[in-house]
Amino acid sequence: MHKLIVLLVLVGITATVRAQYPGYVQLNDPVAFKLQFSAASQTIQTIQSDFTQEKNLSMLSEKIISKGKFWFKKQNLVRMEYSEPFQYLMILNNGNIYVKNGAKENTVGTKSNKLFQQINRIVIDCVKGSALDNPDFIAKIFEGKTNWIVELTPKAKTLGELFQHINITVDRKDFTASVVAMYEQGGDYTIIHFINKELNATIPDALFVH
Amino acid sequence: MEKINSDPSCIQKFRPVFQSDLYRTTVEVNGKEITGLLLIKTMPDSSIRIVFSNEFGIKFFDFEFSGRDQFKIYSIVPQMDKKPVITTLRKDFELLLFKHTDTGNAYALRNNGEFFHGFPQESGVNYYVTDSACGSLIKMQRASSTKPVVEAKFFPDKTGSPDSVDISHKNFNFTIALKHIPKK
Repeated sequence: MHKLIVLLVLVGITATVRAQYPGYVQLNDPVAFKLQFSAASQTIQTIQSDFTQEKNLSMLSEKIISKGKFWFKKQNLVRMEYSEPFQYLMILNNGNIYVKNGAKENTVGTKSNKLFQQINRIVIDCVKGSALDNPDFIAKIFEGKTNWIVELTPKAKTLGELFQHINITVDRKDFTASVVAMYEQGGDYTIIHFINKELNATIPDALFVH
Repeated sequence: MEKINSDPSCIQKFRPVFQSDLYRTTVEVNGKEITGLLLIKTMPDSSIRIVFSNEFGIKFFDFEFSGRDQFKIYSIVPQMDKKPVITTLRKDFELLLFKHTDTGNAYALRNNGEFFHGFPQESGVNYYVTDSACGSLIKMQRASSTKPVVEAKFFPDKTGSPDSVDISHKNFNFTIALKHIPKK
């Protein structure tokens, strides 16, 4: 009887994990995945892509859709440029976040602001693939047929207040992120799809300077 | 300013109507700026939800205005979760939403051709300033017992929801600017 109960509990736990992301199985030993991920990241110097961002306000049954272009260059240069439905530019460069909103510009040095530092790091980690090594998160990896889902749960209270967890969908083809989904406490979530990705194209440094 | 007879309910025609409207928003406080998107939505039960997020989708706050004077906070980031900030935002939005303008003890004052329709609040007065014929809304003001504290203007468009809104505080550096993002 005891053995039956233990078996049922184990099946229940496995079933729960399986049901969490239908079609995906959690990797109990992610070492092999981390090694492959790390090796693939070494070969990526630049990424450029289009993106579509969908903000879901679930209680209001509303979606706010925005679009733009994205560039990444090793080691830590990011340019995210929204064109629809508004003009908004963000550049991460050397620990600084530069933002241009319409005509107004602003630079925030992340050194003086821990939360900004953490957000800066998440963005780069999602893109670069170093999310698994980010000490601010507990990472779980789920394997599917065509991609993996890396589920990041914040350890720190400040980040935890913003996000319940962040899921990165990693393409099996090239180990780059194709989707970043940020789930907030309370049911709202934001999904960014990276499409028309181009790897290792020449991207001038000037794109990351303002 | 002299007291005059003007029917304060004449301002109701300027009350903004929000269905589900998105505004490009800039908030400036003491030289610092936060930008994002403000969604103002009238829910099926007639309550009004106001949600402010940054461009990445991180939510700053989610407020509900319902009934005559119910106010609920669904969520708010810790940096804004301070009573003076919440009270200021609440009162600014109540001014914009024409809250507490049931006629009651309302009155009207004239000042140089402008008519100030005053609606006493729990503290202070909200004024809706029109031309003498109450044909156009010039500005809105929240005033203490002695002077204006907040001034707001909105520029309507054909749909009834404002095309743009400017709110500025007189006694400290705090402004909110909203610009409507038309739906595709």
